[in-house]
Amino acid sequence: MRMPWNPQQPESCVPDSLVHSDDAIVVSGMRKSFGDFAAVDGIDFTVKKGEIFGFLGPNGSGKTTTIRMLCGVIEPTGGGARVMGYDICSQAELVRANIGYMSQKFSLFQDLTVDENLKFYAGIYGLSAAKFAERRGYILEMADLRGREKELTGNLSVGWKQRLALGCATIHEPRLIFLDEPTSGVDPTARRHFWELLNELAAGGVTLFVTTHYMDEATHCNRLAFIYRGRIIAAGTPHEIKDELARDTILQVEVADGEGALAALEGEPGIKEAYMQGAMLHVNVGERSAAEADLPSRLGSAGFRVLGTDRVEPTLEDAFVHLVGKQGGRA
Amino acid sequence: MRRILAIARKEFLHIIRDKRTLIAVLAMPLLQLFLFAYAVSFDVKDIPTAVLDQDHSVASRQYVNTLQQSNYFKITQNLGAMSQVDGVFSRSEDVAVVVLPPGFGDAITAGRPGPVQVLIDGAEPNSAQLGQAYATGLSRVYGFKVATDQADAKGVNLAGGGLSALTRVWYNPEGSSSAFLVPGLIVLLLTITTVQQTANTLVREKEQGTYEQLVVSPIKRIELMVGKVLPWAGIAALQVVVISGIGLVVFQVPFRGSVVLFALSSVLFVLCALGLGLVVSARASSIETANQLAMMISFLPAFMLSGFVFPLTSIPPVLQFVSYLFPARYFVVITRTIFLKGGGFDVLWPQIAALAVYAVVMLVLSSLLYRERA
Repeated sequence: MRMPWNPQQPESCVPDSLVHSDDAIVVSGMRKSFGDFAAVDGIDFTVKKGEIFGFLGPNGSGKTTTIRMLCGVIEPTGGGARVMGYDICSQAELVRANIGYMSQKFSLFQDLTVDENLKFYAGIYGLSAAKFAERRGYILEMADLRGREKELTGNLSVGWKQRLALGCATIHEPRLIFLDEPTSGVDPTARRHFWELLNELAAGGVTLFVTTHYMDEATHCNRLAFIYRGRIIAAGTPHEIKDELARDTILQVEVADGEGALAALEGEPGIKEAYMQGAMLHVNVGERSAAEADLPSRLGSAGFRVLGTDRVEPTLEDAFVHLVGKQGGRA
Repeated sequence: MRRILAIARKEFLHIIRDKRTLIAVLAMPLLQLFLFAYAVSFDVKDIPTAVLDQDHSVASRQYVNTLQQSNYFKITQNLGAMSQVDGVFSRSEDVAVVVLPPGFGDAITAGRPGPVQVLIDGAEPNSAQLGQAYATGLSRVYGFKVATDQADAKGVNLAGGGLSALTRVWYNPEGSSSAFLVPGLIVLLLTITTVQQTANTLVREKEQGTYEQLVVSPIKRIELMVGKVLPWAGIAALQVVVISGIGLVVFQVPFRGSVVLFALSSVLFVLCALGLGLVVSARASSIETANQLAMMISFLPAFMLSGFVFPLTSIPPVLQFVSYLFPARYFVVITRTIFLKGGGFDVLWPQIAALAVYAVVMLVLSSLLYRERA
């Protein structure tokens, strides 16, 4: 029985019945308003222990606000969440002690050496000298920074900084790590190397909560949630999300004037969605219809030079454009 | 405790890594000390003076001699006519012109007050005011001398009767500017370092994005604040010792009060200043804003509204009221009283109490602001 005056069992916004022992994060009806604006508008989802969970959405959709609430930095204005079993409102400090956090800014002190950065974070998380020695060795190995301990962090390449940041964020061996766009601005090789590190961590049973806007990275995730205008509009495995479009046909059109063609197709009969993906025009013609067959000729007669048309498997990006379109807005 | 030390250690590394900060906190105060103590002198000596003697009597020559010998006036030229006075001032040749009109000697001999006209260039009010005061004083001395001479000649003993006012300046008898400035300067320099630097420290962390990392760590706001402020408190202490030392040794400023009381009130003042800095840090959105704000609430009040340069009684009532909102005015009274007058807690308790209250309010306020901004 819960005693309201017993500090060992603080009141939680999330009913115990919702929380299972293999859940790393349980979010229930969580919302955050700034004045009249609901940045996060009542979201629910669960992250299992050991999962790589992808949290996607366009800028300004509520991603960062959600992470800040889950890290116990700001309090929700409604609902709540449990993170590693701790309530984010009443046990924020315990939440913070049990998670790691790494943002795209890497949060390293550029004017400190590699060793000084590590030592600082070890001090913040209260590591013993023996524990620090062990973790330091591990991180230097992992980040490939052996021999550079005395180098100023500011002089390291972006890839090294990123791995050192991950090392600092995980110096206290958290079982759950939040990564807020950890790979933005990093070259593709370093990104691949970084994901190898993340996969290693996940293999060791660490739960990873990752936001990214690289769709190829989203496919690394076990499960995804897509947030748009403060609401979760899709959740599931990458496969499940792509299944949204299983019955639709996506045509990839190579056309000289992509933007012009896009404008011409907008609102035309038989065209469900049309958008640029890289240099290509993607057209969702819905369930197989006449539109598929006569698209090149329709564009041709409107004066556009069509270089080729292919039917492609829907990608995650196609799925998200579709999902956002269903919300009555554009990403 | 370990977390506080980790923050303090890191903060200290930032300071010693950043050459500009290092120069700002170590070299600048010394530079300012010498600049203020040497260049900003309120002692007026050798005022360049022109004389227009229209009387050409013994008495008028004696009067000019009295001026000449006083050290306060330096007679550079003798003018021939009143019309030259304008030129003397507009070419800035002299600051004062002493005019002895015809009949000056006759008036003295007749036992009547001798009229003397002193014209002063008011473009430099400070010198003008002092020059005026000196001239009036000297005239009085000369007048008294004439009077006694005449009395002697007539065999009258003036010493028995008459009134004489003896003015003695206590605590700073030579009217030395450095004795007056150095204790105040400690306040000014201390304010600049502590407020400015603490105002910067958190804003810089926000701009670099490292603040984001700190708020998701288990560190408490209060630990972060104390850790950040600790190295600065140390540097502030060092500054107090160095500036006081130079003041005592180089500028011969007396130290007549209790060292313990001085140290204690310095600590209180530094806490106030650090608190102010933290409040700025919590509010400011960029380093530029932080610097501007820190300038506004530290340097200007410490310079203008502390009694450091201008006596607080001579500023408008509104500004006098504003001056109570900044800790500098209390601490200037404390440093001057301790250095020059040797006053103790019995006279300084109101100022010390004000600083203590101020420190508590600032630190509470800044920790509230931090929580809000989390």
